[in-house]
Amino acid sequence: MKTKFSGILTLLLAFVVQLTFAQGKTISGTISDGDNLPLPGVNVLVKGTSNGTTTDFDGKYSISANTGDVLVFSYVGNTVEETVGSESNISFIMQENALEEVVITALGIKREKKELAYQAESIKSDDLITVNPTTAAQGLVGKISGLQINVQDNGVNPSSQVLLRGLRSIGQNNSALIVIDGSRATQGAFDDLNPNDIQDINVLKGSTAAALYGSDAANGALIITTKKGENNSKFKVGLRSTSTFTEVAYMPEFQTEYGTGWQGEYDTIENTNWGPRFDGVVRQVGPTFADGSFQELAYSPIENNLLDFYETGTNFQNTVYFSGGDENSKFYMSLGDQKSEGIVKRDEYNRTTIRVNASQKLGDVELSLNSSFFRDKTNVVGGSIGSQDRPLYWFVLNTPANIPLSSYSDWRNDLYASPDGYFNGYYQNPYWAIDTNRDTDRTNRVNGNIQASWEAAEWLNITARFGLNNASGTGKNYRAVQNYTGDYTRPDAVSSFVTDSEFQSTIYTTDLIANADFNLSEDFTLKAIVGATNYTSKFRNSTLTANNLSIQGFYDISNGTGELAATVDETQSRTYGFFGEATIGYKKFLYLTASGRQDYTSTLSPENNSYFYPAIGVSFVASDAFPAIKDGPIDLLKVSANNSTVYNDLPIYQINERFQQSASFPFGTTNGFFVSPTAVDADIKKEKINATEFGLNVSMFRGRLTLDGAYSKTVITDNIVSTTPSVASGSGAYLTNIGELENTSLDFTLGAVVIKTDGGFNWNTNITYSAAETVVNTIGQGVSSVNLGSNIYAIEGSAFPQIQATSYERDPQGRIIVDAANGNPLVGGLKELGKTTPDYVIGMTNAFSYKGFTLSGTLDYRTGHVYYSQLADAMEFTGRSLESVSSNRQDFVLPNSVINTGTAANPVYVANTNIPVTGGRQSYWTDTYNDIKENYVRDATAVKLRELALNYSLPSDIIKNLKLSRVTIGIVGRNLVTWLPAENRFSDPEFNNSNTNAIGTGGYFQSPPTRSYGVNLNIEF
Amino acid sequence: MMKNIKKLLMLCFASVALYSCSESYLDVNTDPNNPTEVGPELILPVAQVYTANNLFGNRSANTLGNMLMYNWSQSDGFSWYYDEFEYQADATFYGGIFNQAYGSTLKQYHALTTLEGAEFANYNAIGEIMKALQFQILVDAYGDIPYSEALQRGENPTPKYDDAEAIYDDLIVKLTQAIATINNAGASALVPSADDTMFGGDMDNWKKFANTIKLRILVRQSGMASKAAYIATEMNVITNEGSGFITSDVVNNPGYLNEEGKQSPFYADFGLTVSGETQNNGQATSASDFAVATLDGFNDARIDFIYALPVDPLGAPGEHVGVPQGILNYPSDNSLEPEHVSLLGPGILIDSTQDAPIFTLTEALFLQSEAAFKSILVGNAQALYEAGVTASFERLGATGAATYLTQGIPNTGWNASTDKLEAIITQKWIALNGINGFESWIEYNRTGFPANLPVSMLATTADRPVRLAYPNSEISSNSGNLPSQPNVFTDKIFWAN
Repeated sequence: MKTKFSGILTLLLAFVVQLTFAQGKTISGTISDGDNLPLPGVNVLVKGTSNGTTTDFDGKYSISANTGDVLVFSYVGNTVEETVGSESNISFIMQENALEEVVITALGIKREKKELAYQAESIKSDDLITVNPTTAAQGLVGKISGLQINVQDNGVNPSSQVLLRGLRSIGQNNSALIVIDGSRATQGAFDDLNPNDIQDINVLKGSTAAALYGSDAANGALIITTKKGENNSKFKVGLRSTSTFTEVAYMPEFQTEYGTGWQGEYDTIENTNWGPRFDGVVRQVGPTFADGSFQELAYSPIENNLLDFYETGTNFQNTVYFSGGDENSKFYMSLGDQKSEGIVKRDEYNRTTIRVNASQKLGDVELSLNSSFFRDKTNVVGGSIGSQDRPLYWFVLNTPANIPLSSYSDWRNDLYASPDGYFNGYYQNPYWAIDTNRDTDRTNRVNGNIQASWEAAEWLNITARFGLNNASGTGKNYRAVQNYTGDYTRPDAVSSFVTDSEFQSTIYTTDLIANADFNLSEDFTLKAIVGATNYTSKFRNSTLTANNLSIQGFYDISNGTGELAATVDETQSRTYGFFGEATIGYKKFLYLTASGRQDYTSTLSPENNSYFYPAIGVSFVASDAFPAIKDGPIDLLKVSANNSTVYNDLPIYQINERFQQSASFPFGTTNGFFVSPTAVDADIKKEKINATEFGLNVSMFRGRLTLDGAYSKTVITDNIVSTTPSVASGSGAYLTNIGELENTSLDFTLGAVVIKTDGGFNWNTNITYSAAETVVNTIGQGVSSVNLGSNIYAIEGSAFPQIQATSYERDPQGRIIVDAANGNPLVGGLKELGKTTPDYVIGMTNAFSYKGFTLSGTLDYRTGHVYYSQLADAMEFTGRSLESVSSNRQDFVLPNSVINTGTAANPVYVANTNIPVTGGRQSYWTDTYNDIKENYVRDATAVKLRELALNYSLPSDIIKNLKLSRVTIGIVGRNLVTWLPAENRFSDPEFNNSNTNAIGTGGYFQSPPTRSYGVNLNIEF
Repeated sequence: MMKNIKKLLMLCFASVALYSCSESYLDVNTDPNNPTEVGPELILPVAQVYTANNLFGNRSANTLGNMLMYNWSQSDGFSWYYDEFEYQADATFYGGIFNQAYGSTLKQYHALTTLEGAEFANYNAIGEIMKALQFQILVDAYGDIPYSEALQRGENPTPKYDDAEAIYDDLIVKLTQAIATINNAGASALVPSADDTMFGGDMDNWKKFANTIKLRILVRQSGMASKAAYIATEMNVITNEGSGFITSDVVNNPGYLNEEGKQSPFYADFGLTVSGETQNNGQATSASDFAVATLDGFNDARIDFIYALPVDPLGAPGEHVGVPQGILNYPSDNSLEPEHVSLLGPGILIDSTQDAPIFTLTEALFLQSEAAFKSILVGNAQALYEAGVTASFERLGATGAATYLTQGIPNTGWNASTDKLEAIITQKWIALNGINGFESWIEYNRTGFPANLPVSMLATTADRPVRLAYPNSEISSNSGNLPSQPNVFTDKIFWAN
């Protein structure tokens, strides 16, 4: 024990590194690149000391050193050593060599990029946090090809979905594996990271790259490395501070010709807009009170009446960081704080992050600790509120065009805003909802690992790593009662409750890896890895709800009346595996890699719980094999190919059908359980994913133009799918292995230094192109489609996910068939209306820099997909759609429609020129038109200016005078501009109701999209 | 120290590898929250609650029937029922009747009928009887339905559709078998108790109920000449069996109470919330003009129990106000707002613990009356008719049945009724108003009574639908077997042809 303690102690002591500075003369110089242009950012270090600096924007540096010291210049994997002689100026040309770039691959193992038989793309800190996003996922959008980030909303604490090369599974997880500092982590841990703490993210796009992770490799991986400090660097203290403002970017576009009413008549308490045309006449709004009084307002539309409900949100982020290191130790520490207020009044989010990364070399063993502590506090308006359990946005949207919503904020004192006096007879005042319906929670997360890495021999490294990802939290959601005293139409009463919840999630990972490098002969090298790993995940969640509270405004379980409702859920799963990988290199231009992993899982029956994951790949550096290639503009040409087979695991507890306690039970002493709605295939197994990838990497004009691209094809069989059998089978779902999915993707990243002038003007551009499509080849078992919820389906022979919804019935010429009796279109059956993932996404980042100024922007364009706007669907009823005023609320003959003058069996379609629709005043829209959901499936194309930043770094001479090493100030903006096609007037098509595979349904569960802008400051001492 | 660290490393490596390999390491896949096996006493009460929910839950069979039978209408200020008023009986219309029957109710009873072992005989029989009740409802609404291949879960995800009449015939066989199963149950057979939330484990009552369901099935086919001999034979089986028919309402009540999710389903739909507040659903659902006029014309005391008098009457005190179905232009004087019209009455909407009627005595008596009238069952048609009306008065809490039955108004007094069948079905329509509107609708489809029943103002057809369209769920997941969608206004169920 004593030795173990001393090891840990040493590690901890490393945080308090005593730094010593060398004395001597000052060496200065200029480092240039291959084009003889100044090269900023080169690290310069006196070997064996912590004395170091970096070159400035002019490629200049100066450092104190003694004669005989060795200066180490390092830049992007290239290192040059120069011994200090009598001279005081050391200047030279340093090659940027993309080839020699070292990347962190699976399991935290470093590899030269040219060895890799698969495509990986990394992003460095500066590019990730250009506009200081609150989560790293936001900073990735548009910058990596093949990567798609989906967000649920623009709330104060959004969760994201990270997809690589589209979808590969109908029913199982499609999100990329998250690995932080070598240990497998979770999406939650990724979202909780302080983006400032990230050094780089290496994106392994295909399953081959991640195959060593076994069942979690299927969707590629994000290998995140946090900042570690550097050996032999000086002590650095920095502050990064950002203040941004968030506002609604745009609201849905609605009609403003007709206001409150029903069937063409004015109605004082309606939430709908079926009243007469606006005429500006002063009319009663809301109910008549007991004393005969009522509110009166002019009957005319109020511009931005919904927009004015929202406020300007704020976000303040501050991160203080420390780093440094000597020959044997290095450390990085940070303290981050974020305070946000949302666009919805009183929505608050605070978080604190602490990171301590440190390592200490003890002879040939290096011990390291990477740890983060995270806590946050969320206090937002309840997710489902009011008598109909609707989201807040619903209440806002159900406000007619002539109602000044923001004038009803003082609901406690203003009669017209009070529960009894609010104009709306069907929905509560959203300001009341904000003040009395809250969802609050606090979460804590400890995520980190300890690692011992032993250089057992020059050719052998043995690493043991233990990772912990523990999240826990408590929540309290409460709703206030709302009753009414007026004897006029009011919304349903709302009953009160308080729900207390707790959760605890713990994941342990252990990895043991032996990593060996052999030089077999002059021409052949061998790199080999063997290892073992295990993974344990435990989760527990409990909730306790008390209803109909006795004391208003007091939210404690003791305050409930009647029965308490309680739930407890616990889950646990384990896997372990053994793996190995060998890479044979020939003359440093041909590499052959083979790997395998044997995995064992707890989620399947013991007879059937072991799977082998093989992968093989080849990398050929043509430009090294045939150096003549480099005589032209090409300085690197590499091709790669690989194939792997991995398997997606079954979720826990699924192999057995389970009974569950029925919702309303027990009744006194009578308890009851219901038969599982899901039937399970007795022979269920993992789903199989076979992926083949071809890659190309080209670098031209000394790295000024680079192209990295890949084509991949993945075939997924034995899909674990909760199929939708006929409900007459007695099960609403049947979990089985079915069908075949095929995913093809093409992605490439084009990087260019477009302009680089002697005057210091630089224009860098980075263009990403990502195209991925998943097609359902077969489903089988007599099933031709699988419903994923809402209108989202997997349909045999079609791209996945697909929207299927009720449609117009059309004749062979595509004309809409109407009912000859009433002129209304016939409601047709379910029809495929398009896929919900884009044909392609193009991202573009441009950075212009000149003398310390950098203007950078990222935009992305997604197209070729559709989404189902629940918002538009729901708002048809309220009479706010633009369509509903397209015929002035009159009956009209549906253009290009036909009637059937024949029989059902032998139809004869005749153009309809004179039979108008019935109920054009209202019921045509709310019933017939609204029943045809095809009307709400819209083009999801979007162009978004995701990021725009103008930063200025103070010149090095000024900084030096201030005894600082870096000062950057800037203005930043996120999502400043969004271009949507004309037919999508509703919301951000990227928003989703959930982070599941049912992509493509959104609307009123999310607040309107936002944009934000602000300032940032970075000072380093 | 270095050596120790290396040793520690090796130790870690070895221990993790060894621990991982131990057999029990992966044995953590038993769900601690949900059992894989439960006894029949935990399955039955859930099934019976489902049966009640299928009839009385929100937008379930009872609501459908009351709307199609013009019993209920809609107060001013709501747009609750336009699909019903427009007779929009497409694949999205009341699909829950199909989906919940198979997905919840039948699934749950099937878990009882498939229990193997002599000790489960009574549970097997109850399961079969309740399945028959449910399957008849499905046949009456949809015609051909999945039956022989249904409920096999993963074994057959796409069951074929069986002929409606063949299903009817098999239900009689199954009910006969169920009675035999009860009679043959040995001493080892478990007898349900409080977990049988309909009969408390009284197996004699289950036999009576089985006979009564048979009666409903047979009477439904009584207009089919081709089945006359079959019906006579099966009626004899009922008579010879000897248990007779139900003698009181068959109800479900697991101990409904005033708690979230535990209120009696009909009350939960239209009554007060747990905290005692009115619900808009109850405010939106009103009496219809025709039903009020009919009851007034019959001098029917039940009107005050089927409907509640207006809270704030604009007309004479004690006068009921019904709303025309499908009205779009509500009067501008707000006279049809909820407080000025008749809403659901105290005889049907009682309190949060009220019984959920599964099969009423009054209906059983009207069925016997019709059978007697048609001479397929020995009995006095008039006496049974009058007993049926009396039972209806009693269940609603009304008085004056005897006087009512002496009236000279056709379809009230037996003697005054020229068409006895019309009288029986018309009285059944009144007796089941709000209680089992679905059965009224089915009987209307069979007999066309009550005569002169108006259609909704929003109807574009001469009459209401005679069946339901197959739901979208079947179109998307069982298209290979699904028959073509019927014309819901003209394609009558086999017993009406």
